[in-house]
Amino acid sequence: MLVVGAGLIAVLATRPPAAVTEVRSPLVGNPAPSIRGITVDGHAYALAQPPGTFVVLNYFASWCVPCQQEGPELVRFDFQHRQAGDARLVSVVFDDTTSAARSYQATLGATWPTLADSKGELALNYGVRAPPTTFLIAPDGRVVAYLVAPVTAAGLDALIARAKATGA
Amino acid sequence: MSRKHFPLWTVLAVVLVAALLIGGGVFSSSSPSAAARAAAIESVIRCPSCEDLSVAASSAPTAIAVRAEVSRQVAEGRSDGQIKEYLVARYGSAIVLEPATTGWAAVVWVLPVVVAIAAIGLLVLVLVRRRRRGDGDLDADVRSPDVDPVLLDERRRFLTQSLADADAEYLAGDLSDADYLALRQRDLTRLGLLASTSSTASTASTASTSVRDTPDTLDATTGTAASTDPSKGPATARHRRNRRFLLGALACFAAALIVAVPLFSSNRLPGQTATGSVNLSPSQQLARSLDQAAAVANTGQLGQAAQLYQSVLSAHPDSAVALAQLGWIEYRIGTAGSSTSLITDARAKLDQAVDLAPGDYAAHLYIGTILLAHDGNAAGAADQFRLFVGAGPPARVLAEAAPTLRTAFAQAGQPLPAGVPAG
Repeated sequence: MLVVGAGLIAVLATRPPAAVTEVRSPLVGNPAPSIRGITVDGHAYALAQPPGTFVVLNYFASWCVPCQQEGPELVRFDFQHRQAGDARLVSVVFDDTTSAARSYQATLGATWPTLADSKGELALNYGVRAPPTTFLIAPDGRVVAYLVAPVTAAGLDALIARAKATGA
Repeated sequence: MSRKHFPLWTVLAVVLVAALLIGGGVFSSSSPSAAARAAAIESVIRCPSCEDLSVAASSAPTAIAVRAEVSRQVAEGRSDGQIKEYLVARYGSAIVLEPATTGWAAVVWVLPVVVAIAAIGLLVLVLVRRRRRGDGDLDADVRSPDVDPVLLDERRRFLTQSLADADAEYLAGDLSDADYLALRQRDLTRLGLLASTSSTASTASTASTSVRDTPDTLDATTGTAASTDPSKGPATARHRRNRRFLLGALACFAAALIVAVPLFSSNRLPGQTATGSVNLSPSQQLARSLDQAAAVANTGQLGQAAQLYQSVLSAHPDSAVALAQLGWIEYRIGTAGSSTSLITDARAKLDQAVDLAPGDYAAHLYIGTILLAHDGNAAGAADQFRLFVGAGPPARVLAEAAPTLRTAFAQAGQPLPAGVPAG
């Protein structure tokens, strides 16, 4: 019994701690499913494959408090990288009405494309369970990170730096 | 005159297997309709945004999207396996409610079969050995010099009864002459064998008793005494074997557990404990979720804490504690980001919390603080703080809130309630 106890403690102690927000996804390391649809403004949108730059794909809802917390960080990230042209943002509405999402994005000052995904197809293609969920897609079109908590501009920069260091 | 008897259990087994094959649709040639196939797949796919519900049983938007995808793929002619693979490639293996049939997860399918086969094998082995003992090999156990006299008596009674049964069956015409004679010959031989064993055993027993009764003789004949003492020899060896088997089984169990835990346990989400949910009652689960959310909030991760409180509220919409805490977090985030809509939403949640639990001190404290800090309404804040003090908050909370309370009552020109530290 002591052996069993010690083994379990060792196993559980080596599992990722609760503070880690980057989790495993079958998509990480694989080509990103296509990103296309209608924006909340009613325009058709399709992301090039491969995108050629880093893409932050963010699933959100206007009612989601953590999404509201990360909103200003996404605006900051977009502002910093829009000039450099090395990364771009695409948001996808998750479990929310298009009008509420559009109004929320307008209040936030989001100017990047936001897809309505009214049938939840994009959420299904990426295996999204709840907002906020964020994927980082490398310029070659592979998914390199999957996060299930509010992101920060600095955190996204660190992930991009890590991806670059590993040759993405 | 000889008759063949089919044992009843054989007939029952054949009937059972036939019923299972027919009931299981093995002989059915009709293939299920597309709708039936889709429904069958949906019943084993987990709703992505719910807890332990299949997409068939959930009306969540994610479940609806998965159902639509399953129906589309069924209509396209994709197999059940291909559809499940498609979903697993996106959500991970946990999206399927059934364990996988490949890799390590297949152990849960294989193990019961292996255990069942082992159990049947063991049963057959035991029965065969018992039968051998009962049939031809009475010899092995009754010829032993330290045979139990009770066992001898039992065997003698069994053989006598067997002879009587053979007589009765022969008279009734159920046995042929040859069979009857063979049975009678066999049982009589065994009875003779028992008689000779019985006399040997009684001699051995007497000798053993005299050895035990005479300490001097025991010293002189230690070797003989040791070999005839029933408490030693085979029993001890069997005991040792059992102990080794038990230790081996425990070691296997430990190794399997250590291998299985990391294989089958997924990464924890923020706020999840290391042990996951282990048979907690709904109220225990609620208390644990609230503790986790509070712990995350105390580390300053308001977004994650809000996420946890929201998941609590999705399962327990009437949780006054979750409403109050989420309201307060929304207020803090809303104040930091100057979001009027978030602050309005926060106040609505706090009011709802008070409606649900008027005696909860936290909601009154938060409402009072908002009235004072956001609205500059000291009198309104003082009213809320009186309710807060009246609800009997813990001394630590009261001490932390005391400076805010003193400010509110001073600004309102009202006396400080009893129990609040004067500062």
